[in-house]
Amino acid sequence: MKTNISEETLKMFVFFSDILNRRVINSEGKIIGKVIDLRVGLGELFPPVVSIRIRQKGKEKFVFFPWDAVESINGHVISLKPGAENQITEKPSETLNHTKTKGEEILLRDEILDKQVVDTYGAKVERVNDLHLLLAEGLLRLVHVDFGVRGIFRRLGWVKYVDIFTNWLFAYQIPNKLLSWKYIQPLSHDPYKQALKLNVTHRTLSEIHPSDLADILEELDRHKRSYVFDALNVEAQADTLEEVDDQTRVSLIENLSEERASDIIEEMEPDEAADLLQDLPEEKKRDLIEGLEDEKREELEELLTFDEGTAGSIMTPNYIHCLQTDNVGKTLEIFRGSDKPLDSVSYIYVIDDKEKLLGVITLRDLSLRSSDSTVASFMKRDLIKLKVNDSVKTAAEIFKKYKFLAIPVVDENDLMKGIITLIDGVEAIFPEFGE
Amino acid sequence: MAKDLFPTSRWKTWLIFLAVIGPGIITSNVDNDAGGITTYSLAGANFGYTLIWSLIPITLALIIIQEMSARMGVVTGKGLSDLIREHFGVRITFYLLIALIFTNLGNTIAEFAGIAASLEIFNVSKYLTVPLGAIFVWILVLKGNYKSVEKVFLGACVFYVTYIISGLLAKPDWNAVKTGILSPELKFTAGSFGMLVGVIGTTIAPWMQFYLQSAVVEKNIKLENYKYSRADVISGSFVVNIVALFIIVACATTLFQAGIRIETAKDAALALAPLAGKYCSYLFAFGLLNASLFAASILPLSTAYVVCEGMGWEEGVDKKFSEAPMFYGLYSLLIFLGAAVVLWPGLPLISIMFISQVINGVVLPVILVFMLILINNKRIMGEHTNGKGFNILAWLTVAILISLSITLLLLMLKII
Repeated sequence: MKTNISEETLKMFVFFSDILNRRVINSEGKIIGKVIDLRVGLGELFPPVVSIRIRQKGKEKFVFFPWDAVESINGHVISLKPGAENQITEKPSETLNHTKTKGEEILLRDEILDKQVVDTYGAKVERVNDLHLLLAEGLLRLVHVDFGVRGIFRRLGWVKYVDIFTNWLFAYQIPNKLLSWKYIQPLSHDPYKQALKLNVTHRTLSEIHPSDLADILEELDRHKRSYVFDALNVEAQADTLEEVDDQTRVSLIENLSEERASDIIEEMEPDEAADLLQDLPEEKKRDLIEGLEDEKREELEELLTFDEGTAGSIMTPNYIHCLQTDNVGKTLEIFRGSDKPLDSVSYIYVIDDKEKLLGVITLRDLSLRSSDSTVASFMKRDLIKLKVNDSVKTAAEIFKKYKFLAIPVVDENDLMKGIITLIDGVEAIFPEFGE
Repeated sequence: MAKDLFPTSRWKTWLIFLAVIGPGIITSNVDNDAGGITTYSLAGANFGYTLIWSLIPITLALIIIQEMSARMGVVTGKGLSDLIREHFGVRITFYLLIALIFTNLGNTIAEFAGIAASLEIFNVSKYLTVPLGAIFVWILVLKGNYKSVEKVFLGACVFYVTYIISGLLAKPDWNAVKTGILSPELKFTAGSFGMLVGVIGTTIAPWMQFYLQSAVVEKNIKLENYKYSRADVISGSFVVNIVALFIIVACATTLFQAGIRIETAKDAALALAPLAGKYCSYLFAFGLLNASLFAASILPLSTAYVVCEGMGWEEGVDKKFSEAPMFYGLYSLLIFLGAAVVLWPGLPLISIMFISQVINGVVLPVILVFMLILINNKRIMGEHTNGKGFNILAWLTVAILISLSITLLLLMLKII
């Protein structure tokens, strides 16, 4: 949650900008160097500082101190315990003794400060202006990220003056705009694993709604975009690909391995998958189709044969169907057994064994009729339907007139080929609806 | 489908080239804006052919600098403002952006002054043209988007050929031009140095580096297609300087020879009439109007994008005003101030226009230093950092630019 922290409770809190460049003194009071960075362990909800990076006086190389070498943080210095100098190291991983952190470690200034991160609560990309840490029980933990203008003023060293000014002019003080670290997914990546350094977040990336994820991906640069996309699971990837704009979509697909791309395509609704494939260059399209499972491949190849602007090009072959001899009980079983998305389950189509379209029933019918009545007894036979080569415009006219949630599509022999959902119909006429 | 036809690889090359060009060409053409035209006119009218030689090293410097911008854009996929913020922190970014806002404001004022000047030739009052121009520019961008603005004006870029025609109509003495190119001459006065720094500043303006890099990122150019981007940048740089050459030549041939000293681009256009015919004058005026409108659309918008990118504020014309207040606010403010300053009675517009280009020239080395630090950083650029030879050339350019600026400052303060 975004919090407004009043001045009183800030005593045990400290801002990262206040710690940076603080002098580090040893137990004899001699100045050793200045704080350049803090290294934290991501394995916990609020990452604790595990080591401090300093620039030594008179020397060029940066070195690290483990956190437990620190005696106190007060005033404007960080004091070290006696014998701390023995714990200086250039390799921070050697400083892990007191705080056994699991998970990865990151440098706050190097990888978080001034960089973009994903706010999984607001589902957007933000730039980090400052960080907020809590000193409690001997540990210094990262608790909030500062996105606000006040953070910028603090970094510039102007907070005091700006406060005086705004208080004088408007009796107002610019508030802090802090967000809990548990909602933050950093975008720095592990160069060895070529993957995002994942945060143990309350809300993971995959839980963000695909439309919001799409917005986030569109805002990121090419590299970060791939890292975030790769961190998603296959379902989330499929859903998100359906939502991003064309340019981003092509760019994301190009960077996927053949295997992963095929998995995603198999996960997507066939009509969405067909749309996606249409946008790709020929070679890539062919490669991907060949990598699919037979059933899926045939389905897609058939969809891809339809010209753009026809009913066939926007229909999905996924729909629920039953036989006219089935009764309500059996049909309900069929319904329960299917895992189709919501917008194609409003109607259940009645077909014969050759897939010829005979009629349609609705969920409402099923809920009102007794379980042994046969479908044939109440199905609607006089259906409005489209041929595969009918234009998208005709489909739109039908939706406009009858306000159906879906229209069945048949071929020249009246065999059922698929359905067009209302959303797909609208998107075809108003492309901006889909963006 | 056209995509299936790849008869020869040469077709493919051209297709990719056409898809990739734009950033370099547009940046170059916006570069020849009102401030630029004024500066080049002054250079020709007040100094004759004697400063033409500088166009050659300037073209070279422009190519080097633009190539770096384009390369950073393609390799990192990020804008320059973004890179500076991530690498140097918010403090440095903040002060840099303030400086950029000031130079861009100066440039914007110059654009509106150009709009006013070009139509005053036809005796239309600036109190009519400037507000109309401001409103037109403001709405054009908000109703359309960055892309549509670029497309509209890219077409208008063809009109820059009017300068070449102007230059030819003036019947220049090509031998004198050749001498001007081949024998460099530079008097050690504040006037000469000021003009030189002005010409440099107007050709290699700081805002261009930000704009070019963002445009390249927008185009999503892949690393393997980078060579086309480079070709785009190089051709753009040549175009700029050829147009500049003809403007200088046109004014040098007519005005300098006749001993007419001018103070504004308007003076230039008017003075051309009796000497080279009124069509020359009209063409000049039309070119000026076109350039000013184009730049007045691009510049404030680009500034708003760059500042919001660096400071982490919401940006984009696809967002509502309430969603991106800083972006729209800054953009509108720049247009408003630009127009207002021009309309303020009694302000010395010539000085402002010219000084804005000089400020460009002074701020430029600062931006270049940042660019050079970033582009030589392996973490950012991977294996695409500058080569040794390139670095030497680049740092040499920076050194020369800085010394020119310092010399100018000292001359102006009458220290040397």
